[in-house]
Amino acid sequence: MPLEILNIFSPLIQKKPVEEILSCNSMTVRYGLVLTERDAVDLLETGDRALKSNGRIEFGGGVIPKIIAEFCDSPYLTKDGWIETLRELTELFYYFKNETMDLISDDDLIAFMKEQFDGKCHGSPALLADALDSFARRMRDGTDPDRPEDEMGVDDDGY
Amino acid sequence: MTDIEKRRIMDRTNLSGETYFLSLLQAGHHYGFLTDSDLEKIQRQCLELLAAKADEWSRGKSSSIRTERAESIMKSNLYTIGLYLKTLPDPEAAVQELKTATVKDMYQKGRKILGAKLHTAKHFYHLVLKNKIVTVNEAYNATLGKSGIGIFFNTYNPDFEAHEIPASIDYQLCRPVTDLAGVEFIQKYLENVYLENEFCRHFAAEDIHHLLSGYDENYQHLLINIFEQVLTGAIGCLLAGGNVRKLEINPEEVRALQEELSGDEDRAIACKIRKAAGDLSELENLTRPSLRDYIEKSLPKITANILHAVRTNTLDKTFVPPLHPERKPSIRFFSNAKMADEAYREMIAELLVCRFSTDKLALIREKVKAFDDLEDVLLDARLSVKEILLLFDSLGDMEIAALIKRHPFHSDVQAVEVSEAEKTLRFSLKTFLEKLPSERRERILSLADRLAEE
Repeated sequence: MPLEILNIFSPLIQKKPVEEILSCNSMTVRYGLVLTERDAVDLLETGDRALKSNGRIEFGGGVIPKIIAEFCDSPYLTKDGWIETLRELTELFYYFKNETMDLISDDDLIAFMKEQFDGKCHGSPALLADALDSFARRMRDGTDPDRPEDEMGVDDDGY
Repeated sequence: MTDIEKRRIMDRTNLSGETYFLSLLQAGHHYGFLTDSDLEKIQRQCLELLAAKADEWSRGKSSSIRTERAESIMKSNLYTIGLYLKTLPDPEAAVQELKTATVKDMYQKGRKILGAKLHTAKHFYHLVLKNKIVTVNEAYNATLGKSGIGIFFNTYNPDFEAHEIPASIDYQLCRPVTDLAGVEFIQKYLENVYLENEFCRHFAAEDIHHLLSGYDENYQHLLINIFEQVLTGAIGCLLAGGNVRKLEINPEEVRALQEELSGDEDRAIACKIRKAAGDLSELENLTRPSLRDYIEKSLPKITANILHAVRTNTLDKTFVPPLHPERKPSIRFFSNAKMADEAYREMIAELLVCRFSTDKLALIREKVKAFDDLEDVLLDARLSVKEILLLFDSLGDMEIAALIKRHPFHSDVQAVEVSEAEKTLRFSLKTFLEKLPSERRERILSLADRLAEE
């Protein structure tokens, strides 16, 4: 038992409350986006899997409510694709936290994702992954990650 | 099990110094001082502290961190709490504290202690830099330098990596620091180096140099402990009647000592060594109790070495006579007077137009009477390697040795920086030497080694 103290994955770590995610519905309902309790559990499980596969651990409420709050007004999101897109955004978020070597804050990364998603990526998570990849590479290289992204491989029309 | 027995097991010496907190929990739980519910409370609070420190680490900008970072922060936290628990009177009091105090409180107290220890360690580092001995030993100098232990004070992170030792430490102590981590390790290491230096400073740096040269002429490259060699040498001098002040002992004295000790029981030899160490402390007026204690605790290791040497009849390898490399017999090489410049220029002009090697060699043998002229010809006459080798055949060992001394061919790096003629000469010397019978080659190299620097 004493050596369990070192176990940072202890079951004693407080589980993230489903309620926190469900409470976001009050904000997203005006865009016709609503999550069920099952969706909320599903999203938390996606987050846990993404954390584990990226070798990360999270304390506190987590970033999913932040992602919901940032993306809910996107013109590219509909109630049918809402949960699926949130799953993909959550996975991308944790992956690129590592790829950017933790040099960017949660809030800034989510804001960048939203800007790209609604802009050059035209609501495509696949194109967003490319944009993030280029962004992370420039961040690691020490070049200005905010400079215009000509090398994204996406033309102005997004095709 | 009685309470007295439990307390004996909870004895501080039976607990890990490196991971004190964990070993205290383990022992406390094992012997029933801590219940499962105590442990659960402690673990929950440790995780809360980890979450707070992780947030602090990311400056509140990230809700998640890498797993290995989290594990490192956890170890750092537990290490810091351990520092506080160690200050309590005994493990029993520490366990009591674990039951009643919060992890956060214990961490904050530990962090204050850590700050103080870091301050003390810095102070010791300054003391060590002041009482550092003058030596050519590379490991010693590098370890005590800015890029050795000096790195620690620039990179140690007491808030998130308190258990780490970010320093380059190659120099081995006579009494190595074990079972400590982080700033505790550095503090103890520096304390020990300080005491070792303090002892060594009772002897002249050059006498230590001669002693260590006797041990191994290339000791500057070795991972040896200087204090141990000096203390052993001093004890040897006292046992054999050598000159302790100068750390000088001669082979006859060592032989006599070998004979004397061979007839003794181990215990008797150990007594003699202990007495010699005591005499040494008196003789050198070693009054500092911490230094006397350090010597006392170093004796078992030194005694074991001496006993082994006595039993294997190799005491002359443990007590070595000093070597004075600067007193090595040297040979001076004098060249005859050089020929006049005009005559030399004419000869070179003649050599440059000569078609046949035999004619060139005949001309050189006829005209060149001084070694310095020969050396110039080898560089100026554009001779081929084959011609140079033929010329070398007619030279004696001393001339070849002098050429090797003046044109060393050991390093390729050097060769890059020299002229083509010089490269040819060095290559020819190397080739010539490689073709010689080993006996003559050794003789020439030995002569070259003993030739005085010009």
